Amino acid sequence: MIVDHLKSLYGYRELIWQLAWSEFKLRYKNSVLGYFWSLLEPLLMLTVLYVVFSNLMRVQVEYFQLFLLLGIILWNFVTRATTIGTIAIIGKADMIKKVYFPRDIFVISACLTALIMSFFEAIIFILFMLAYRVPISINLLYAPILLIFLFVLSLGLSLILSALNVFFRDVQFIWQVILQAGFFVTPIIYTIDIFPADLQKIVLLNPVARMIISARDSIIYSLPVSTNDMAFMLATSFIFLVVGYIVFFRLEPKFGEEI
Amino acid sequence: MRVIEIEHMYKSFRIPHEKRNTLFESMTGVFKPPSYETFNALNDINFSVEEGEAIGIIGENGSGKSTLLKIIAHILNPTDGNVKINKKVTPFLELGVGFHPEMTAVENIKTYGTIMGMSKRNLKSRTDDILEFAGLEKFRDAKLKNFSSGMQVRLAFSTAIQTDPEILLMDEVLAVGDMEFQRKCLDVLNNYRKEGVTIVFVSHDLSSVRRFCDRTLLLHKGEQVAIGETGDVIDKYVYSGGEISPDVNEIEKDSSQTDDDSNESVRWGNKKVEITGVKFYDKFGNGSTRFNSFDSMKIRILYKSHQKILDPVFGIALYSENGEYLFGTNTELKKLFINYVEGEGYIDLDVDRIPMLMGKFLLTVAIHAHDQKPYDWHDKQYSFDVIPSGRDAGLFEIPCQWNYDNMVTRARD
Repeated sequence: MIVDHLKSLYGYRELIWQLAWSEFKLRYKNSVLGYFWSLLEPLLMLTVLYVVFSNLMRVQVEYFQLFLLLGIILWNFVTRATTIGTIAIIGKADMIKKVYFPRDIFVISACLTALIMSFFEAIIFILFMLAYRVPISINLLYAPILLIFLFVLSLGLSLILSALNVFFRDVQFIWQVILQAGFFVTPIIYTIDIFPADLQKIVLLNPVARMIISARDSIIYSLPVSTNDMAFMLATSFIFLVVGYIVFFRLEPKFGEEI
Repeated sequence: MRVIEIEHMYKSFRIPHEKRNTLFESMTGVFKPPSYETFNALNDINFSVEEGEAIGIIGENGSGKSTLLKIIAHILNPTDGNVKINKKVTPFLELGVGFHPEMTAVENIKTYGTIMGMSKRNLKSRTDDILEFAGLEKFRDAKLKNFSSGMQVRLAFSTAIQTDPEILLMDEVLAVGDMEFQRKCLDVLNNYRKEGVTIVFVSHDLSSVRRFCDRTLLLHKGEQVAIGETGDVIDKYVYSGGEISPDVNEIEKDSSQTDDDSNESVRWGNKKVEITGVKFYDKFGNGSTRFNSFDSMKIRILYKSHQKILDPVFGIALYSENGEYLFGTNTELKKLFINYVEGEGYIDLDVDRIPMLMGKFLLTVAIHAHDQKPYDWHDKQYSFDVIPSGRDAGLFEIPCQWNYDNMVTRARD
């Protein structure tokens, strides 16, 4: 059954991409700078945060600009993927009522839209890496694996949220609050060391926190990712995906009527 | 090969009395049991469709046609029963699904085409054709929001017909649009039929169903009334009398009206003989007020005579809905001499073939004496509808045929 579904998703790959790409394009329609905004946006945000944190709070971290930027890019991805993902079903009501294709396509392409946006931000990041002459090592190879984990995790979350949101529109608002809180309990603008040791353990239960820390280690600081962390991230993202699909497929048959 | 198989399929909707759309409403409503009505949209539907067949679905509004189509399209799920679809379904339930006003014509073609299952390469090579067919070459990079609604429909339609469907689901929404557009739709449908595409066609337009569908399914309030040869099923629909047709009580209503109505302008005469009712019968002998054009019909005039009347004349006059006088005849003109009438009785007028093509028609019925003095005259008090069964246009059919003689067009020596 899983294989069949994957096969049918593969058959719809052009549609998935088309939906994701047109969603991305729509964001910059009617703006003068167009796609350029997708580069400008992270740059401006970085400037603001950098000014605030390096001057006012005097954080002592090596490559702090890159540290911040990478954290923000990864967190932005989770935020966007789940935000677009939450309304992926209800926002496409006209399509869902008039044509059929596997409904998870909408959610997958929502996450893909977020990925496209993150891709442009990554270009900025790479430019910064080059500008600061950050040494790279073989440990960089962890990065793509970490990104896959992050994508899978976001997809699993989006599947749950989008399906629940069809029945309870509150979900989208509650999720925004959770994301806001998540931004502060995840080591994005600070290092995890600011917490006492036992609190650190709790913070590290958040898979996104672990992914951001590991990504920084492998990309910026040329450090390997511990097998423990890899196992934890693999397990959590897989669990989210499976739970996501179970919830989604349980609720899917009613989408057509409820929406 | 059977491409659609439906067995004992039921579909019911819950109609909540108050909709709980937020978590708060759900939580506060936990102790109140949710109140809802169950609406049975479809009951025990059984049929199958062979590959390459064109099947029509007819029935009045609310009979469950669109629900059935959506279940075949997999958009809704049946409450109970089996639905097996063995080929790819392309639904034309609405044109331009996924169109976005902020996107350009070309971008919308891309999105819509992909939704309809076309491959990227295919789309790329056909984009120009699509724009040309829609007559929108000049507007390829204009945003959809600047298009008139007609242009949008044309763009959607031109894109949709580029798909290669295996099973095509067509809803009556396509029937909106001008004559030219409808003709295009029917042409496309025809081409698909020739290519052997299986078609499920929902329509109110009985003449197009008659033309396109091998078999037809008749639904009435969610029940499957009949399935079979299109002609038979349409007859059943049109001539269902009191059971299925929506305007059932028209005869009774009209006749009772005239009974009570002593209004001089619609009824006059000395009432020595009274017309007590007029009934229309279809070719099966059932009472009806709807008839297919070219079918036979019988008009029965019931009378009650209060005394013995010698040599009465029964007559009818037929009017169009606008009141134009179309036809009139009476027993005298047809050389039927009735010696006398006494008590109750009836007289029948048999129409072998209804020559009217479509529309509503009004009937005047009268009994008068030989010297034109009316006993009872009901002016335009009865009506019936004619439903088209062919493609000729206008009010009446004139029996005719075209002859084309090659000799005539021979070039002059």
